[in-house]
Amino acid sequence: MAVTDEGIVSAAKVIALGLGTGFGAIGPGIGVGYLIGKTIEGVSRQPELRSDLQGLMFLGLALTEAITFYALLMGFVAFFIG
Amino acid sequence: MIRRRLSLTLLTLAGLLVFPLAAFGSESEFQPVEEFINTYWASFMIGPIEIGISKAVVYLWLAVLIAVLLTLWIVRGGLRTDPKRTQNVVEVLYTFSETNIGQATLPKVAYVRWFPYVASLFVFIWVLNMISFIPLPLDTHNPFIGPIPGLTIYAVTSNLSVTLTLTLVTVMISHVEGVRANGVIPYFKSWVPPSPKALLPAMIILEVLSQLLRVVSLSVRLFANMLGGHLLIIMCVGFVILLGNVFIAPVTIPVAVAFYIFEWGLVASLQAYIFAMLSGIYIGSAIEPHH
Repeated sequence: MAVTDEGIVSAAKVIALGLGTGFGAIGPGIGVGYLIGKTIEGVSRQPELRSDLQGLMFLGLALTEAITFYALLMGFVAFFIG
Repeated sequence: MIRRRLSLTLLTLAGLLVFPLAAFGSESEFQPVEEFINTYWASFMIGPIEIGISKAVVYLWLAVLIAVLLTLWIVRGGLRTDPKRTQNVVEVLYTFSETNIGQATLPKVAYVRWFPYVASLFVFIWVLNMISFIPLPLDTHNPFIGPIPGLTIYAVTSNLSVTLTLTLVTVMISHVEGVRANGVIPYFKSWVPPSPKALLPAMIILEVLSQLLRVVSLSVRLFANMLGGHLLIIMCVGFVILLGNVFIAPVTIPVAVAFYIFEWGLVASLQAYIFAMLSGIYIGSAIEPHH
């Protein structure tokens, strides 16, 4: 059965955007925290590797953080297009 | 010197904060998505394909002009052995792409042929991302006054067509080079790592899927990052208009400025670097597969 009530549809879109983006940010949040924590651990163990580790950290940061935007994007797709 | 730089930065930020005023002026509803809609200013058709000129095309031209002409202008008198400041910038950029992108990802056999591609990809996307945060008068949806278009911070890399095109070029190069270097059958065999016979069909499906998903992940990463970043800034500034409450500005405007600095200072460069580096990795791993 198709939902035709306009109010319900627009409410569902807002909920989809909010829930999707919020839940989508959990995973990358854990990932970024773990990543930076491990980098700090590595630097405190071997401070001479700081610049190398920092470069790798930023690389991983960009790859991980992008996943938040996939969720945000899907939320916008639901909100504006769906 | 520092004061001049600081005032330049503040001027740019002030310019950014001015642009929602144009929305006030036009008395239309605030639509953050309007930033990303392309209207063709001049339309040319080749069959069903539209090759007209729009905001995105102008941005692409601008980036090409900046990347090529600025470099040519800096090295106009030939390169010096005792580099001056402007030459230093070019040298740093070149050394960075050489060591961190070229040598880090491409195998030695393919370095000479594909380093220029990967490096120009980096510089092109970097310039695209950098100019996308400078307010330029190209917003014809919300004219500033009369025929003068409003200021906008549009990122052409937040247009999926642009990133998908760049990705498809990279992926096609990687497959062609992989076939050329290894032969057709060994190349496609090299996709699948050695695995027990029972798992082989599942492995083949997974590996083919991962090859196809490269196209999606590479293009959508850049696209979603720039789109998300720009929307975040525009929404933070636009909250004043959306909620119709000026007193919220002391909270939202600093957040917008913080995101602006974060996006411009870090994400724009990082995403260009990631895109070029992953392109290099894909091309390199196709030429010299790990067995």
